[in-house]
Amino acid sequence: MELSVFDLSKQLGVAQDTIERWVRQGKLPVFKKGINYKFDTKELKKWASNHNIKLKFSDKTDLPQKQEQSIIPLSVAVQNGGVYFDIQGHDVNSVLKASIEKISKIPETFKTDLLDRLIEREKALSTGIGNGIAIPHPREQLSYLESPLVSVCFLDQPVDYKALDNKSVSVLFFILCPALKMHLHLLSALSFCLRDHQFIDFLKLKPDFAALVKKIEIIQKTNPI
Amino acid sequence: MNYKLLHIFRNTPFGRETFLQSLYFCKTINAFPVAYIPKSDKFLMYFSNDAVQVDLDHSYLTSPDTAKGHAEDLFKEMQIKPMFYEPKNYTASTLPDISTNFDYLCCPRSVSDLSSKIGLGHIGPKVRRIIKHSTFPILITSPVFKPWKSISVFFGGSKNALNALKLGLKIAMSSGFALKIYTLLEKQDESYYKDLIKKEGLAEPVKQLSSPWHFYEKKDFNKMLYDVPHDSLIVLGAYGHGIIKDILLGSKMEQIQSTVTNNLLITGPYCSVEL
Amino acid sequence: MSKIKNFFKNLFRRLFQLDDRLLLIIAGSIAGICSGLAAVALRLSLESVLELLHPFRQYGWAFILPAVGALLSSFYLEKIAREGAGHGVPEVIYSVSRHGGLLRFRSSYSRLISSFLTIGSGGSAGPEAPVVMSGSAIGSNIAKFLGLNDRQRITLVGCGTAGAIASIFNAPIAGMVFAIEVILGEWKFVNIIPIAIAAVAGAQVSHAIIPDQVIFNHLPFQVGGADILPSLGLAVVTAMVSVLFTKVLRQTGKIAKKSSLPFWARAIIGGSTVGIIGMFMPVVLAEGYHSIQSMISGTFSMGLFFVFFAVFAKIFATAMTLGWGGSGGIFAPCLVIGSLTGVVFHKMLMVLVPSFGCASEGAYALLGMTGLVSGVMQAPLTGIFLIVEITGGYETILPLIVVSSISSTMSHYIEPASFYFKELIERGQFLRPGTDARILSDLNIRELIETEFVKVSENMVFRKFIELLKTSDQNFFPVIEDGTQEYKGVIQISAIRKFALDPGMYDMVFLNQIMDTNVMTASLENDLQEVLDMMDINHMDSMPVVENNRFVGMISKTRILDLYRRELIMQTSDH
Repeated sequence: MELSVFDLSKQLGVAQDTIERWVRQGKLPVFKKGINYKFDTKELKKWASNHNIKLKFSDKTDLPQKQEQSIIPLSVAVQNGGVYFDIQGHDVNSVLKASIEKISKIPETFKTDLLDRLIEREKALSTGIGNGIAIPHPREQLSYLESPLVSVCFLDQPVDYKALDNKSVSVLFFILCPALKMHLHLLSALSFCLRDHQFIDFLKLKPDFAALVKKIEIIQKTNPI
Repeated sequence: MNYKLLHIFRNTPFGRETFLQSLYFCKTINAFPVAYIPKSDKFLMYFSNDAVQVDLDHSYLTSPDTAKGHAEDLFKEMQIKPMFYEPKNYTASTLPDISTNFDYLCCPRSVSDLSSKIGLGHIGPKVRRIIKHSTFPILITSPVFKPWKSISVFFGGSKNALNALKLGLKIAMSSGFALKIYTLLEKQDESYYKDLIKKEGLAEPVKQLSSPWHFYEKKDFNKMLYDVPHDSLIVLGAYGHGIIKDILLGSKMEQIQSTVTNNLLITGPYCSVEL
Repeated sequence: MSKIKNFFKNLFRRLFQLDDRLLLIIAGSIAGICSGLAAVALRLSLESVLELLHPFRQYGWAFILPAVGALLSSFYLEKIAREGAGHGVPEVIYSVSRHGGLLRFRSSYSRLISSFLTIGSGGSAGPEAPVVMSGSAIGSNIAKFLGLNDRQRITLVGCGTAGAIASIFNAPIAGMVFAIEVILGEWKFVNIIPIAIAAVAGAQVSHAIIPDQVIFNHLPFQVGGADILPSLGLAVVTAMVSVLFTKVLRQTGKIAKKSSLPFWARAIIGGSTVGIIGMFMPVVLAEGYHSIQSMISGTFSMGLFFVFFAVFAKIFATAMTLGWGGSGGIFAPCLVIGSLTGVVFHKMLMVLVPSFGCASEGAYALLGMTGLVSGVMQAPLTGIFLIVEITGGYETILPLIVVSSISSTMSHYIEPASFYFKELIERGQFLRPGTDARILSDLNIRELIETEFVKVSENMVFRKFIELLKTSDQNFFPVIEDGTQEYKGVIQISAIRKFALDPGMYDMVFLNQIMDTNVMTASLENDLQEVLDMMDINHMDSMPVVENNRFVGMISKTRILDLYRRELIMQTSDH
């Protein structure tokens, strides 16, 4: 396979000037095609092994797949997570339990575990951020989830959540993610939405799934991230 | 963009004309000039496969104490910030190395026969060697400062000529001046040249930027040279197709250079021009 | 027609592309032969001129001869060949370190002519440095003709050098060792074979044309155990003499430079001085090979005191010749001074301990030569091998090693840089492969710049900047002026942390109020050493590069480290 100067410079992580200089100094195996320099992958592999230099000649798609996938917007996460209504319960633990029961994307076997984690998190610091909203989430990543979800649960009755503004809470936004970075991103996107007073009022109306997703999409567009 | 031109300053009235030309050139195409005031009568340029020594004649070392001041005055006259080049490395104590990291180099006009060396600086035959090895175009100025108002490209179809054409287009774009192409029909007809341009993907820019393409029969060479406007910048490639012919009969470049008084911008074989 | 040309081009390419060893050997032997011929030409012409001028030496006006020679030589160099001033060998080393051995074509012959004029008229200099320069230039231009890359060109320069020295002294190993020890500075396997072959080629050329080597005939010597102790003494003495020689050379050169006399006046003064000394002590004139020969064979007929003064006279004469306008090398004068020192030492030994069973005077002359070569040029191996090849045997090897190593060590201690390298080191241009200085000089600032930077306008509101910050991973933001795109300053995230976290500032501040305009910037013309010094002085890890008031990119120390390591691996690997 042939490589151009540009390709090789990307492979080795050096500037094109450097490759040209090494060719001029006779340090790289090269052959000329017209007036351009070209490199043969076989020759280069031999050269690299002689010089203890690591070279990857596999295709571009062979980049190490990190855990993070591309950023998923909040609206999509909500679509994944679903919107649920009439959650029963009169205290933190019971509404959490009831919500988890309803959220379909959580595998049955993990529900108890998740509940425990959420309760633990609430004990450390309440996730009631004010204005009747709470954002329960576990501290750890949930590797059994395929993709991040944000589940919106409207409570039947407001509950005392020991929130920051001491108001009772009627909407829960569950943020459940397989990776920490995703979690932070969704948290940030959500907090951006929740700064908008119109959105808070909108939530009080207990909108349905489609309307809520649409509203979130609109707000998202104004977020530069 | 950040194009740099190196000018070797001669502190004489003749050098003044040359320098004004360089300054005008830079101003027009948005490059910036750097002046080198020689302290010794020779310098060395290391290219990738050759070391070229340029011997300057003594007029380059005239009145060294006033040289910098004169150069600064000329810079200011053209409203360009004065920038000077100081060689950092020396091959021998009187032989400085001049860097080849420039985008343009300005040489005064050279006449190839030695008898007319008067006050022109003996860069003479060295210009050819520099052109042969340099990766940048060489600007050879007219004897007297004359602002050029259009660009004329001599297109002979060779690789060098293609580079010259690309350079001409580039200059037309940054200066806003009109571009004219002149071709001497040697063995092929017009369509051959037009196809060549199309193959290189230059058909569009040529159509946009240049006024009609002028073709001439081989016998009308001198007529072609006269038709080029006196205040036009001529852009051409260094070697044409036949190298043997060049050596025996004197290349077209030399012929052109000794007949017309326009400023010449010459691209050598190692130049690569990107649009 | 072009099809045939292409065929040959392809053949050539296939044959030599993948393994250029064959090509280098062939080209190297050609270089060795050519430089050998150049060396022979110079030697023969020197011989004939010396013979020609010999009858005139008895006249009173004969002292003018070296002056005339020096005058013609410097005139030729200055006006006709337009060479730079200088010794020549440092120029070759400089080119090998910085520019892959590119040498001008005129260097192949210009120094031959100039040194012919200088030495032929009696100037005290050696023909070796000019021949080395010619040989190197021949090798370099052969490489240029074949379109070779730097590494191959450097090998050919070494071949030219080796051929030259091998030819002059009829000593191929000395030629090879000199080329590698002094010029190239590294023992790489790829280099050794072509250089060795070139050395042999050069020596053979010399042997073929000058079959009975009158000079440097191989003579056997009887050296015994009794000589070890005196060798130590001789080593110390030669070390002192070496240091003295080097210092005198340098001083006279400085004085000549400082004086405002035009070059031809200096040449005349220098030459006349040498001429006058030469009238009384002919041994100081010219390159002195004949004198060396007679000292070696023990037929040298000067008394002790005369020889003692001759040492200093020769030092002075060489300094006057080379420092004041003449052209030539110091190798031969080193040999002469060395043998004179050896002879003096032996004579004194004989006076002090008349019945000492040590070797002959000739043997001590040889040891003295080694001592000087090792001391002045700090090339101990060259010194040893040269003498071994001259004597044709290894009997002298033990005292040779003693003298050579002690002399070079001692003079290194006093004068850390050898004569050839000193001026390069002073200019910071002594760049042996794999050294820090070399890497820093090879890496160009353009290769290290990162140019992918989002620039911000100086009139941007801080709030907008904060928004930008959310999506960017830059730590530095260059600030530019709106219309002209000129560089104005830099915003360093670490410096504005406290403002970035204070929302009250967001709408109150424009970027040109919080940007840092005092940040030191580099330009594309700076070399890496300068940039690193600037960073160290200002405790910076990153530095903006600005050219003609426009922001070009940033240089960071982490990137420098990556590329530095890469470069080091490339330079020291065994390719």
